Amino acid sequence: MTARKLAKRVGVYVALLLGGLAMMIPFLWMLATSLKTRAEVFSTSPLSYPTGLHWENYTKMWFALPSVTFGTFFQNSIVIASLATAGQLITCSMAAYAFAVFDFRGKRVLFALILATLIIPFQIVLVPNFILYRYLPWPFSESGNWIGTNLPLWVWAFFGGAFGTFLLRQFFLTIPSELADAARVDGANPWQIFRKVYVPLARPALATLAIFQFMWSWNDLLDPLIYLRDLPSYTTTVGLAFFQGQYVGKWPEMMAGALVSLLPMVILFLIAQKYFVRGITLSGLKG
Amino acid sequence: MTSTSRVGDQVRAAKTRPARARSNRGPRAGEGRWALLFLAPTLIGLAVLSAGPILATLGISLTKWDMLTPPQVVGLDNYANLLGDDRFLRALGNTTFYTVVSVPLGLTLALALATALNQRIRGIAWIRTAYFLPLVTSATAIALVWLWIYSPTGPLNDILAALGIPRQRWVADPTLAMPSIIAMSIWQGLPANVIIFLAGLQGIPAEYYDAASVDGAGRASRFRRITLPLLTPSIFFTGVLALIGAFQVFDQVYVMANPGKPGQATITLVYFIYEAGFRNFKMGYAAAASWIMFLIVAVATILYFRTQDRWVHYQ
Repeated sequence: MTARKLAKRVGVYVALLLGGLAMMIPFLWMLATSLKTRAEVFSTSPLSYPTGLHWENYTKMWFALPSVTFGTFFQNSIVIASLATAGQLITCSMAAYAFAVFDFRGKRVLFALILATLIIPFQIVLVPNFILYRYLPWPFSESGNWIGTNLPLWVWAFFGGAFGTFLLRQFFLTIPSELADAARVDGANPWQIFRKVYVPLARPALATLAIFQFMWSWNDLLDPLIYLRDLPSYTTTVGLAFFQGQYVGKWPEMMAGALVSLLPMVILFLIAQKYFVRGITLSGLKG
Repeated sequence: MTSTSRVGDQVRAAKTRPARARSNRGPRAGEGRWALLFLAPTLIGLAVLSAGPILATLGISLTKWDMLTPPQVVGLDNYANLLGDDRFLRALGNTTFYTVVSVPLGLTLALALATALNQRIRGIAWIRTAYFLPLVTSATAIALVWLWIYSPTGPLNDILAALGIPRQRWVADPTLAMPSIIAMSIWQGLPANVIIFLAGLQGIPAEYYDAASVDGAGRASRFRRITLPLLTPSIFFTGVLALIGAFQVFDQVYVMANPGKPGQATITLVYFIYEAGFRNFKMGYAAAASWIMFLIVAVATILYFRTQDRWVHYQ
């Protein structure tokens, strides 16, 4: 390698590392601030290292609200995101299978219609869906209907979805039809072929869908804000936003809360990076 | 079930076999009924949770409804009132500004970054991970961090002070509020766009570049003549999603400027709909606002698709 080539290569590295640092800096500041005392945050430069590691900010944050801990928000988020993910996996894979292997009247129109919902801003349905849930009875809620419960945040997922249907259909189309034919000869019905042939083979695509749906539910703010009414039912995002309103200026605790709230997603990302990348490249959809 | 294990064997056998043309794909007896069964949840969802509600929104937008008393039909009053409502017009203006600035700027930056990241050097995987981290973090948590970055004693003002520039109020300053939110959104939106562009870049055959180099094309001309044209489908695709996403901006605004703190400097369309419908319970008014937003996004998307022939090159 010539000196000039070496210099060029070093230049590329330095530029990339500086860029990477720029993307990481907000996270590093979040971490540094979460470990400082409040006095330290105001008196010293934000760019300085914390003098000691004040992990107690995390305990303070966890128990900051009177009746609930941050753990409750976590639990709520996990329950909602898991149910929504399960619903999407089941119903999107069923719809995708129908589009991939069956011939029926209106197939093209229906598929186009489902794809169209991908580019429609979902806010258009906020008001009517709220009204729908307002009139759906639920004996265990204070309101007597679905408002104030977590039902509006996950039940919809059991009724199909454009992203998952599209993603899985693309995958199902790559499965050789000989497999289904062979199973049919053996007397398997379409449901058995779906369960025993298509679903097991589609595991990578199912993982991609699961990760995306979990992330969307975990990060959603608008819907929980509309439907959840009391503190013990809040998700991490609404809890965090509420926390911010209550604890203005308590930066260390707030940064600790923000950091804890995004930790599960960061860990999931580090484990399953390739599924994230694949999902985005396939569909162009963002987090 | 004996057929199951046979199926399993077939699966294993066929995995090694290349996929052949679909021979047996003609209509078979009873397919329609099976399709209906598999599509039942989707069809119900489409009718009750998306197609139906889109029409219902139109109906509701013609009424005055607080959800406590029965709705009253008021015709187009809500639309007329919206067009005379300063707060709505500000929301519309802010959202348009946000979209017009953040989409082109975000895409340009993402393109530059993707080109830089598209290198075959050791350790690139680690560097990419750093770039992609903002992708999975909630806008709520990100907004909190940037609130701190923008705060009077925060890092950004410290840097400015060190450079001898007076401290700014950023999100609390009516003129700087929206640009501050845009900067944060671009930072967070970068990774997804970079991933799409990277996939596009890696799909460009290396022979094209080799041929161009032989012809004496320099770095800049190779980028302009090869990379950019071949990447236009990715740019087009990312553009339409960025456009639609930008019109829906809410989380950042809710956390950073709740509730439209510096006057009306940061309220957006979705914030307006949220406020009208779910804080003030003016359902008809909120529905009308969401229909206007829907129409704007639809028109913008159609216009954007119209430009496709002029600049997008499909191979």
